[in-house]
Amino acid sequence: MTNSPRKSDSLTTWYLLLVPLIAVLAVVEFYPLVKGIILSFTGANGAFSLANYGSMLGQSAFYNAIVVSMLYSLGSTSMCIIIGLALTFLVTQKVRGRGVFEAVFVFPLAISPIVAGTLWSPSSVWDDIFTFSHYILHQPYPNELSPLFYYPVILLSEAWEWAPLFMLVGLSIINSQSKQIFEAAELHGANAWRRFTMIVAPTILRSPVMQFVVVLRMIDSLRAFEIPLAWANWIGYQNQVGSPIDTLSLYLYKLLFVPLYGFPIGLVSAIGVALLVVTLFIAFGMIKLLGKLIPV
Amino acid sequence: MTAHPQPKRGRSWGRIALYVALVLAAFYSFWPIMIMALEGYSIDLSPLFSGKGVTYVAGVPHYSGGIHPTPIHYLDAIHFNAFPKLVGNTLAISGISIGIALLVGTTVAYALARVNIRGKGIVMYTLLALRAVSPFIVVVPLYIIYTQNGLWDTYFGAALAEELLILSVVIWTLRGFFSDIPREIYDAAAVFGATEWQVFRRVALRMVVPGIVVTALFAFVLIWNEFIIADILTGPTAKTVAVGVWTGLGESTQAFKVINFDDLNAGGFLAWIPAIIVVLAIRKYLAKGFSLGTASSS
Repeated sequence: MTNSPRKSDSLTTWYLLLVPLIAVLAVVEFYPLVKGIILSFTGANGAFSLANYGSMLGQSAFYNAIVVSMLYSLGSTSMCIIIGLALTFLVTQKVRGRGVFEAVFVFPLAISPIVAGTLWSPSSVWDDIFTFSHYILHQPYPNELSPLFYYPVILLSEAWEWAPLFMLVGLSIINSQSKQIFEAAELHGANAWRRFTMIVAPTILRSPVMQFVVVLRMIDSLRAFEIPLAWANWIGYQNQVGSPIDTLSLYLYKLLFVPLYGFPIGLVSAIGVALLVVTLFIAFGMIKLLGKLIPV
Repeated sequence: MTAHPQPKRGRSWGRIALYVALVLAAFYSFWPIMIMALEGYSIDLSPLFSGKGVTYVAGVPHYSGGIHPTPIHYLDAIHFNAFPKLVGNTLAISGISIGIALLVGTTVAYALARVNIRGKGIVMYTLLALRAVSPFIVVVPLYIIYTQNGLWDTYFGAALAEELLILSVVIWTLRGFFSDIPREIYDAAAVFGATEWQVFRRVALRMVVPGIVVTALFAFVLIWNEFIIADILTGPTAKTVAVGVWTGLGESTQAFKVINFDDLNAGGFLAWIPAIIVVLAIRKYLAKGFSLGTASSS
């Protein structure tokens, strides 16, 4: 990437190339963003005021949603990393049918997140497990309406879907490394587990690519929506804001589409702008991280 | 990894534990999907364990309808609930959207990989920052704009909005593919007197065709599974598969609704099949796609 192509014929072309890109972004990104910022001040009636920001800060559900989103993002991403590393360990062993296992482990990646919220619902996977544990192992039924049950399960659904991604990135990092260090460890008699924990896992976790993917996933899960939306149905939080599964996105969705709240477009836009500011800060951090990865 | 001769290792306890762990992990990966497929056939496994029907736990009915195998929910999905139409909608929307993204993005991606020029960092990082913006922030004003301009619930409107999801991914990933082309090839073309545009058209673009295909397929899976944008910006006519599976394949426009669990499962399983076929086809490149082109393809 350090080569320097001739700039003679590319300067003007380069800026011309950007025109269609900017045109598309202007329509779907910049214009709506500006419109959203204006709406956050004017609301539906058109007079300029800060009232929407005031009412945003006065809502306990808003703070609740921030906490829930952050817990959700941190929790599901760390589960993703752990499960992803475990899967990486399994598929880097010398076993027969490794390719088949690798393919099976990738299955969850193709599930639509909204369906992932259904798959892990009480009535899909859990009723079988509970019936099994109740009738065969004679355990009491757990209370599904307790946040101690459903919150970890929701995190697990999110991690179930995205952990294979961390496996794939881990494999790609290992494959791009020189094989000699792994072979040296093997010749020195380190067993598979030690080779993984001492060499393979640190190699993966220290790679800037992995760190970049982790940050991307954290940002994506910070705005998690589909799985909490599905779960709002299973545990009866369809209408009420401020529930333990109200991520920021689900909170906004309820404000907009549950008739009870009367389409408070100004308030929703104000929250959107607050989110945007936070997002841009996070993106800035991500870009600093990326500077190590791709010298631009 | 590399194959060293491994005499006598195949029988040890460690090997057995490893295979058990592999099988358990495989179960963990496909069990929920299998349950979904079975419940689409109205097959619920819990009576196998209890011998009973519906049980209520803390007031929540466990869907334990028993084992009544019927293809009716799949047939409903295909014949009456317009699943083929949803697939058509999704193909149209993703086709337009990916077409626009490639048209707008390919040359920019090439320039980002090749040209050293001021402003390159700004472009790349702006795209990345936009990737981080929650679609919710943009989609709500976009909904108002669309309803005023007749773009709501149209293929073109939805396809344009899906650029929020795919445009930066497409450009970043293609940039990664262009960067992977060895520098010597560019240099050789330059030695023969090719202009920058000729290098792009005759050399780089041809070599990157597999990368473009992979990127397009990757973007297709993203749109196929995308929910928020499609849910808010489409209605009865342009609804996509992911939205249709959830909101019911009929006319329901409520925020939340009563769910026919078997229909949902049948639809969810049908929706998974094309996605997994594409995902497995581009498996080697998924890490590259999800890391926005920064990982090497395995």
